[in-house]
Amino acid sequence: MFPMARPALAGALARPQLALCLRPQAIAALSTSSVKSATALERQSSTGQSLTASGKVRTEVPLGSQEKKEGAMQYVLTTLDQVANWARQSSLWPMTFGLACCAVEMMHLSTPRYDQDRLGIIFRASPRQSDVMIVAGTLTNKMAPALRQVYDQMPDPRWVISMGSCANGGGYYHYSYSVVRGCDRIVPVDVYVPGCPPTSEALMYGIFQLQKKMRHTRITRMWYRR
Amino acid sequence: MSTVLRTLRNIRRIGLKEYAHQMQNIGDTKAGTLIGTDRWGNKYYENMEEELPLRTRWVDYKTTWPEFQPCQVEPGWHAWISYMVDTPPNADKVLQPGLRHYEVPEHRPNLTQTRAAFRTYSTTRPKYSAWTPVAAPR
Repeated sequence: MFPMARPALAGALARPQLALCLRPQAIAALSTSSVKSATALERQSSTGQSLTASGKVRTEVPLGSQEKKEGAMQYVLTTLDQVANWARQSSLWPMTFGLACCAVEMMHLSTPRYDQDRLGIIFRASPRQSDVMIVAGTLTNKMAPALRQVYDQMPDPRWVISMGSCANGGGYYHYSYSVVRGCDRIVPVDVYVPGCPPTSEALMYGIFQLQKKMRHTRITRMWYRR
Repeated sequence: MSTVLRTLRNIRRIGLKEYAHQMQNIGDTKAGTLIGTDRWGNKYYENMEEELPLRTRWVDYKTTWPEFQPCQVEPGWHAWISYMVDTPPNADKVLQPGLRHYEVPEHRPNLTQTRAAFRTYSTTRPKYSAWTPVAAPR
């Protein structure tokens, strides 16, 4: 399928094998420290596949330039995807989940200086009308079931933006007894916006990143591949 | 803020082709002087007299709509377009790229959600390993 990837794959597989063969076992036996060199991390599983340092099977992914459209069907589906993605990204209705001071910056995004309405972003009060949930602020243990419930009420396709340190990973309240250490423990998060609190520009940039993610979603193409 | 007269005046200055290009990219019709071009090919314009405050400097991206991002603006030009400095980088030696030894040779935009995006990886040896269980025949 990807003829360009073949030689590179063979070369990548050959090198660790060679390194494994040349590694002097005697020196390793003499060494008293348990520190191994970086080449020792390229290991092989029992079935002969080469492994990464963390023990997973190494996979080779073709580059974007190596993927080609095949046939008229893929051109049609690419256009369909572009239309659907354009509709999604240019009418992005966020569910406001303002929990703390980040919500103030989120409000600034809707005020005339940053003016999210020009991007088609309109805050909705109901999760059933919204596409994306902006979790802005500290998520406490008490709020977590409500957050999950609101997320479950949102219709597909849905996205989540985690805004600020507290929502990203607990932030200042990471060691508190009553705070969830990151809202990605409750809901799957698409975009993390760092900051404490992030500026409105940062949140807007996060929304741009989410739009970029929507734009590159291959909806019908993935369906056709099955 | 746009009026019919301003739009017509700017169309007369920039031409219909540039008008269509600007409506696709900026969503406004602006006329100004070309201040400079960065290494990637983004063009930077300025019109200090007629435009409203904070809209007097703008960029025409090299990449086509909708793939352009603000992170494609080089650091010196970013300082100029954000009104941190008054002189553009092609007139100020300090703002030019390649002066400092710690700079990366080319400007690298935000690669999030591309194939070149950073992914975390572990360089430590795993602390445990799985074994293949052997069931004794019963």
